[in-house]
Amino acid sequence: MLKREPAWEQKIAEYVMENKENFYRLAYSYVQNKEDALDIVQDSIQKAMRSKTLMDDKAIKSWFYKIIVNTSLDFLRRRKKVTVVDDTTLQLHTQGVNDHYEDIDLQRALNELSPDYRSVIVLRYFEDLKIEEVAEILELNISTIKTRIYKGLKLLRFQMEDMNLEEAKQNG
Amino acid sequence: MDNKMDKLIEQYKDIQIPSELDQVVEKALQKSRKPKRTKTKWIAGVAAAAVILTTSVNLSPAFAQSLEKVPVIGSVVNVLTFKEFKVDEGNYQANIKVPAVEQLENKSLEKMLNAKYLEEGQQLYEKFMADMEQQQAFGEGGHLSVSSGYEIKTDTEHLLSVGRIIEETAGSSMTTLQYDTIDKQNEILITLPSLFGDTSYVEVISEYIIQQMEEQMKADPSKMYFIDTPDAPMADGFKTIAENQNFYVNAENKLVISFNEYEVAPGYMGTVEFIVPTEVVQSILVSNEYIK
Repeated sequence: MLKREPAWEQKIAEYVMENKENFYRLAYSYVQNKEDALDIVQDSIQKAMRSKTLMDDKAIKSWFYKIIVNTSLDFLRRRKKVTVVDDTTLQLHTQGVNDHYEDIDLQRALNELSPDYRSVIVLRYFEDLKIEEVAEILELNISTIKTRIYKGLKLLRFQMEDMNLEEAKQNG
Repeated sequence: MDNKMDKLIEQYKDIQIPSELDQVVEKALQKSRKPKRTKTKWIAGVAAAAVILTTSVNLSPAFAQSLEKVPVIGSVVNVLTFKEFKVDEGNYQANIKVPAVEQLENKSLEKMLNAKYLEEGQQLYEKFMADMEQQQAFGEGGHLSVSSGYEIKTDTEHLLSVGRIIEETAGSSMTTLQYDTIDKQNEILITLPSLFGDTSYVEVISEYIIQQMEEQMKADPSKMYFIDTPDAPMADGFKTIAENQNFYVNAENKLVISFNEYEVAPGYMGTVEFIVPTEVVQSILVSNEYIK
């Protein structure tokens, strides 16, 4: 008889161990602070281990991403709109004037996108997932994802442009 | 835009991983595993067993590297498939065709081109194998595929344009195109700068392309290019082509400028090309020998 050897939980555990850093970054991109991101990773793992929704191990990737995204979004909904800044971020923002500030602007522009747009940009470009996978994770159809990417990129550009103007004013 | 996106991606990758992460993950796994030592669903067991079976079959030497010779065209200068690298292991697929140019009198040009093609193919193959081994070592059911081929874009009495196409799929797919255009009569490799008297072509062609991009975006809202427009300002979008921008000359003797995926447009736009009407560049062309 076949043993249930690399059992279900083993599979998830392996997958988690290998991708924990990606999960952390993804969670962090939503909540922007260490403690909450760690909480989300922890919650997501427990949800995944308890869940029986995954049947096909090929789909483990989008399935797990889905859990992380949903847990993060739940968290944001509960927390409402309080922006917490942790020490690392504070340090980054206060460090050197010239070297970092364009970066901060980019980050800020991204953070100012609504979670809907941020999700597609983060998943598609930062996690390098296929449009189909993003659609699966967010449970939306492909054309909606495309529109959101399109609009998200536009918004991002708008905001960056605005910031450039602000900068110009401040500097000039 | 690419630049900004790259920066954002870089920043994202730079998000510091706290030292506590390992502990948190470890704990979460332990905690959920212990009370759950009950029966795993049988179906999962079968699925896992099936996976092991298929991977062990796939690990056996199903890997084939074949040499093939396929003549492609009949004119004096030939392009043929000189070498093929093939890997077929379940989710890991590679099919790399290396073209070769032959019967050029100018042997140094022939050698130079063929050496370049072979090296490209070899590199692609080695990269694929390394990626595959790495994924297999982790035992994850990864999907990886690479296919490359070539396309004779133009083959007239006078000109031969060979395009090499590479399509890599890992998380997402990425298509790269690379063209070479040869003057068959004089047996020289045509470069973009060699077509023009000076470098003013960079500006002239770029201007034309930007205008085309704007028109296309206006006509079809689903199209998008990374350019600076009044309603979507973009500080570092596409501004000019490179002096050695990818190009070929089509059978109608028109200059075609080609961009790789992500180069000037989001990934869903794929690779894009623009045919430059000869009137646009007529005044700066060296001659009408290639471009008419």
